[in-house]
Amino acid sequence: MGFWWAIAIAVAAAATVRFAPVIPRRWRVLASLAVLLLVVCWMPFTVGTFKTSQMTTVATWGIVAIGLNLLTGYNGQISLGHGAFVTIGAYAVAILTDSKEHLGFVDASAWPFWAAIVAGGFIAAAFGFAVGVPALRLSGPYLAVASLGLVIALPPVLAKYDGLTGGRLGIREPQPPPPGFLADLLNRDQWFFFLALTTLVLMALLAWLIVRSRWGRAFIAVRDSEVAAMAAGIPVAQYKVMAYTISAFYGGIAGGIFMSTIGLITPESIGIILSINYFTAIVIGGLGSIMGSIIGGFVLVFLPDLSTDLATGIFGDRQGKQLWPTIYGAVLIGVIILMPHGIAGAVHRLSRLRPAHVAEAIHGLPKALRQTAERFSWAWDIRPGRGKGTGEP
Amino acid sequence: MDVLASLATALSSPAATFLAADPPWENPDLFFSQVVAGMATGSIYGLIALGIVLIYRSTDVINFAQGEMALFVTFVGWSMIQADVNYWIVFFLVLALAGAIGALVERTVIRPVEGGPVLNPVIVTLGLFVVFNSLTAFIWAQGQLPKGYPATPLGSHLKAVDLGFARITEHQLMVLVIAVIVMLALYLLFNHTKLGLAMRATAQNPQAARLMGINVGQMLMLGWALSAMVGAVGGILVAPILFLDLVTMLRVILFAFAAAVLGGLDSPPGAMVGGIIIGIVQNVASTYSFGPVFFGPELSLPVALLVLVAILLVRPTGLFGRRAVRRV
Repeated sequence: MGFWWAIAIAVAAAATVRFAPVIPRRWRVLASLAVLLLVVCWMPFTVGTFKTSQMTTVATWGIVAIGLNLLTGYNGQISLGHGAFVTIGAYAVAILTDSKEHLGFVDASAWPFWAAIVAGGFIAAAFGFAVGVPALRLSGPYLAVASLGLVIALPPVLAKYDGLTGGRLGIREPQPPPPGFLADLLNRDQWFFFLALTTLVLMALLAWLIVRSRWGRAFIAVRDSEVAAMAAGIPVAQYKVMAYTISAFYGGIAGGIFMSTIGLITPESIGIILSINYFTAIVIGGLGSIMGSIIGGFVLVFLPDLSTDLATGIFGDRQGKQLWPTIYGAVLIGVIILMPHGIAGAVHRLSRLRPAHVAEAIHGLPKALRQTAERFSWAWDIRPGRGKGTGEP
Repeated sequence: MDVLASLATALSSPAATFLAADPPWENPDLFFSQVVAGMATGSIYGLIALGIVLIYRSTDVINFAQGEMALFVTFVGWSMIQADVNYWIVFFLVLALAGAIGALVERTVIRPVEGGPVLNPVIVTLGLFVVFNSLTAFIWAQGQLPKGYPATPLGSHLKAVDLGFARITEHQLMVLVIAVIVMLALYLLFNHTKLGLAMRATAQNPQAARLMGINVGQMLMLGWALSAMVGAVGGILVAPILFLDLVTMLRVILFAFAAAVLGGLDSPPGAMVGGIIIGIVQNVASTYSFGPVFFGPELSLPVALLVLVAILLVRPTGLFGRRAVRRV
């Protein structure tokens, strides 16, 4: 079955369950998420190897996006340099799972895979803490530019100290095989997909718990007004550093998953463009929304493909292959103009839609059209003293 | 995007040449030449940074597309010069085109996201970055060699001029002169004309400005046009030095961002000063390598960024930026 048909089925099934009258109201959201997850679990068996590996990437970047959303969407600190934490997590896993005979000072025994992933998260979190403390001094665009420095500065450092990192060529690692009881059921790509998906679900659950806890409320209070949060007795600095640390932890875990599914990490694997794209993903997906972050990961992976298809459709095969970034950029701009609160925000508004609202909108349509026409009347009204700003009809 | 791969080379190339130079006290001429040449490069960073600052001051938007917009119009200029149009006619036509593009961008894609969530304009300018970059690639730079752009007719890029204490190329001298002219023109515009007063009022307090009868929308549009024009001057001046290809502006824009942040995002003179500081440090450090001496030349970029962050930690809004007053 085609990939986009499967996606359509997943969305339709989830939406149906979300509004199904037979299910008790309080269970509907949970049931619709369960249905969505079920369809997504079925997809790797039908959409083919390439799409499955792309979906693995969606899940991996989804983890990064959730972490970044905790920092930017919930806590209001901008980071364009989150790629650095992903790289750190990936390197940590690569180094820990290696037996490292060439390194006298590191324990020669290789770590088990899961322990290395978690350790990678904590190592990235330690770096996040180290960045989060000085980040307290900066805000807004200054923090954005300074954090971009992180992802620019890291690759030369990794390339230079090549004893641990393998220099420019990076580290190539054997990828973990599926555990015994799954070995017959899944092929390689499906195993990686379920590895990433399981991690994504666990991390999303953790994020949901954090957001609904005392910490999450403090994050949001700090975002909305630092001064007001301080006046309410919230230790602002502590929570800002905490948000940075947790967010880096997510980046590190995602880096570990990335490393184990790709099997290679180099200093340039997570570049500046990708790092900025994590940020784009959460804004397009929806700030302050966990589901929005995952949607952002989806957009990040599939929007280039979609815009290539669109570009080849419009400009023909040869030109389209060269012009796809133009479409990509235009779609980004269009989405953000039409959905100011991201895709998750638009879906949320759509789910609030009631038949009465639709009827009202249709009833008010002529008036709205007239108002729009009047708004743009300056464009064709060339008589002096008429048109925009004169207050006359 | 192949931007990614080329960016890596763009970032590593400035520090790639590693020369052992005489120390400054033995060869002061070389030292001062490097300082003045650094000022010239730095004032180009400063011009691009100035464009970023002009937009940030009036609309609180960081324009990530500043460099790519300048690159696009400079390529248009290159096409015109290939068609044997006079240099100065091209110069002013490119400026006019840049202004028109800036105004168009503000009117069509920036205005709809203004007043919405604060991060949305960032996404729009990132989208513009991709659009301009890919259009430039499609029209001029599809897998071709970098293109040469002529220096101003007043100063060749190859002939050196002796200032007594330093030797720089004629073009570098012209860059300094033009940067001073641009700064002077902006100073006169902002401080000695009614239009400039209106623009400053809009930047400071749009609501109050609107109540005073200023057409705020027009002022914002003008601000974007002005900023794009200043950026275009930077593009035209940097093209003879770096040659024109897709990554030309990526080399410049990162330093321009650093310059804008270093000087303070709401201070136009700060942008110029920040640019010149960065230009001098970059030039002198790559000549003498005393900055990254403990780390080797590969780490000059991380060390430079570390210095920038250290300065920001002492002055969180840059050297000349205004402290934001926070109210509940």
